[in-house]
Amino acid sequence: MINKNTKILIFGLLVLFGAALLAYGAFFHSTNVSAQQNGQPVLFAKSESALIKDASVSGVKRDETGKIKQTYEIGENAPKACST
Amino acid sequence: MVAMVDKNKTSGFASKLLGWRMWVQTAFLLVWLDPAGLRLHTMCSPVFHCYACPLATFACPIGVIAQFGALHVFPFIAIGLLIAVGALFGTLICGWACPFGFLQDLAAKVPTPKFDLPKVTGYLRYVVLIGTVLAVPYFFGEEHPLFVCRICPAGALEAAVPTMAGQAIAGEVIIWPSVLKLTILVLFLIAIFFIRRPWCRLLCPLGAIFSMFNRVSAFFLRFNADKCTHCDRCHKLCEYGIEPEKTPNDLNCIRCLECTQCSPDALNLGSIFERSEGKNDIQEHR
Repeated sequence: MINKNTKILIFGLLVLFGAALLAYGAFFHSTNVSAQQNGQPVLFAKSESALIKDASVSGVKRDETGKIKQTYEIGENAPKACST
Repeated sequence: MVAMVDKNKTSGFASKLLGWRMWVQTAFLLVWLDPAGLRLHTMCSPVFHCYACPLATFACPIGVIAQFGALHVFPFIAIGLLIAVGALFGTLICGWACPFGFLQDLAAKVPTPKFDLPKVTGYLRYVVLIGTVLAVPYFFGEEHPLFVCRICPAGALEAAVPTMAGQAIAGEVIIWPSVLKLTILVLFLIAIFFIRRPWCRLLCPLGAIFSMFNRVSAFFLRFNADKCTHCDRCHKLCEYGIEPEKTPNDLNCIRCLECTQCSPDALNLGSIFERSEGKNDIQEHR
């Protein structure tokens, strides 16, 4: 049994924690992604929002070395459909 | 004071809204099905709706968690959203906003014999969550046949089927999903007519996440023992085999709020934002 004050405290902490994670992901978090541009490998930072969009269509993959690679060249369109 | 607690604004509003639940679900459907063509796939929704679906406004949080797991990147947006929404509503999202739950609710209206599930089967959802959403993507990547998106019936129904239909209409080569995915889809489509919300109760990893917030969420099901006449009407009202007077915020509850129709008003929707004091204040937070 949880009393109301404890519940308000837990709720407040959870909402703050969730909002902090959400804000960090939306505005600050980025991941280094390597891609090809005119046949040359390029490393650039991709925001989490952009990564969500790319991940949905298998636009990014993790290779054997642990690097995240974009599956299409910079300037080209992302794949249309999800590979799964 | 007791009267104030019992006839609070939250439960009053919820009881008025209860008859309109299907319309509330329909209204939410319009949010998730992207009628304006916004395709906001850079942001997650808090519901189970495949973002490979041609009609999807937002990204699926489970898909994002799994895909990011395969990339070994922490999904701050998806996890943050689920924690914040879970803390606010718990499984109210499942009962009132989820489009995949709504589909199963509609199928359950077909008058076929309905079978109940043993309560223990609800724990399978946590196996699915830990196994196919967290462990398999992280350790084996998205190519593994048990990667959640490769077996998800929502993905099969909302994305694979329309995509295959589009390919067939355009005269292109049809790219079939895996046999396992199609088998799960067929089993799911059969099950929804004989079991109420089979996906939500047996396998849904998103429901598993939200259910963990049920005991601490801002909105919760309140039981008033003083008003309970032990008539067991709430057992009959609950279509999911829960005994609401024993565990009002049960892990398997989808918070459809049907049990709040119990005539002595012993069960109702409460929130931590209400002012309440005394005995009822303790009883409601089981």
